[in-house]
Amino acid sequence: MGKAMPHVVATFYTTTAALAMQRAGARHGLRGRLAPIPRQLSAGCGFAWREPAAGGEEAVAAAADAVRTALEVEGIEAEGVVLLDL
Amino acid sequence: MFTQKKGLALAGLVVGVGLAILAFLGNPPNMAMCAACFIRDMAGSLKLHTAAPVQYFRPEIVGLVVGSFLIAVATREYRSTAGSSPMTRFVLGFIMMIGALVFLGCPLRMVIRMAAGDLNAWVGLIGFVLGVGTGALFLKRGFSLGREYDTNKAAGAVLPILLIAGLVISIATAAFVVSETGPGSKHAPWLAALVVALVVGALAQKARICFASGLRNAFLVRDFEMLLPIAGMFVVMVIYNLATGSFKLSFDGQPIAHSQHLWNILGLYAVGLGAVLAGGCPLRQMILAGQGSCDGAVTFLGMLVGAAFAHNFGLAGAAAAAATAETAAVAGGPAFAGQVVLVCGIVVLLVIGAANVRRQKAAASAPAATKVPALDADEAAPAAN
Repeated sequence: MGKAMPHVVATFYTTTAALAMQRAGARHGLRGRLAPIPRQLSAGCGFAWREPAAGGEEAVAAAADAVRTALEVEGIEAEGVVLLDL
Repeated sequence: MFTQKKGLALAGLVVGVGLAILAFLGNPPNMAMCAACFIRDMAGSLKLHTAAPVQYFRPEIVGLVVGSFLIAVATREYRSTAGSSPMTRFVLGFIMMIGALVFLGCPLRMVIRMAAGDLNAWVGLIGFVLGVGTGALFLKRGFSLGREYDTNKAAGAVLPILLIAGLVISIATAAFVVSETGPGSKHAPWLAALVVALVVGALAQKARICFASGLRNAFLVRDFEMLLPIAGMFVVMVIYNLATGSFKLSFDGQPIAHSQHLWNILGLYAVGLGAVLAGGCPLRQMILAGQGSCDGAVTFLGMLVGAAFAHNFGLAGAAAAAATAETAAVAGGPAFAGQVVLVCGIVVLLVIGAANVRRQKAAASAPAATKVPALDADEAAPAAN
């Protein structure tokens, strides 16, 4: 088990929105990936976008901005965007 | 602990031990626990069908739902939700049950049968994988039944309470029917069955165990994490079967099974496809219902009614049987009516999949007016499937 690293995690109401984020992530050059939603965030078994945000406050802000921009430009409805060590 | 792979595998091992205990204490052969078979037995006990060999109010069903409910309340994950295409989910539950009863088992029993060397279950796995794969394709094309919404807190507790009431009636009175022969007559003592199922339900809730989602994640995001609990229970059941002499690698002579390969494949194809469209396998639907999902509860009702239909109208598969002095050999499998209904059910699943993709396309063409929540490191955001 590797050391936990900070990630900006976007959660969604539907699997469809999560999969749309997967496509959006590729289009917007995000470094993250779609993965099962962290169990500490939800009792569901859907997906969440995990964007790496290691490197201090600036890195977190940059990752959050990148995720938010992708969501807004693509018109994807997110339920939440949180910072989490994963 | 369930955020780590070791924890997930351990959960699977513990569930496997629970299954082995139920098998040892008298549940039917290769049927330590089965969502479909046990809901069918429950339907029979309530006289929703009158197939004499499969009638018993299974404490396991109560335990699974209530175990999920209790752990969800205790860990503040209980969330009463509803409103994601409930009638569509009813139909999905109905068809999943028809498919499972043609195969003679839900995906959980498929794994239990596989662990006992039943090659028919390995054939059925092909159908299940294909069904999940088809569902994954629909998801990639934009399939969605819509999101769930928070609703009155008490609504999510209705099914657990009803099941507890049913169990009390079952134990305290002779109101419900109990089979005298056949699978319904074979059961672990009710208290042991309830306790084991409570533990399994709680673990399934915490580990998010779902046979369909495990494969779906492998297809869609190459993530195999959710297969770990399933692998854990498989390993334990293989060991149990080897230790008790119950392991037999064959197509023939397997308990409560048949070798009609096409129908084993199609039966579990319907289950796999229906499970992905519904957001969870039959077991997962009960766990979701326990943690407050009214949509999961509606899917459960669809499965209950589907089980009643399957046995009232001869749709379920028959188990193969060797010839005896009095009776001829039985090849088993579904009768013509069951074959027709199953194929029609698969067509309905495909129609449901296609119809709900179109709706999403229409939604996607609408102007984007997305509100993106602010980054919040302190407050965990709950999310739906």
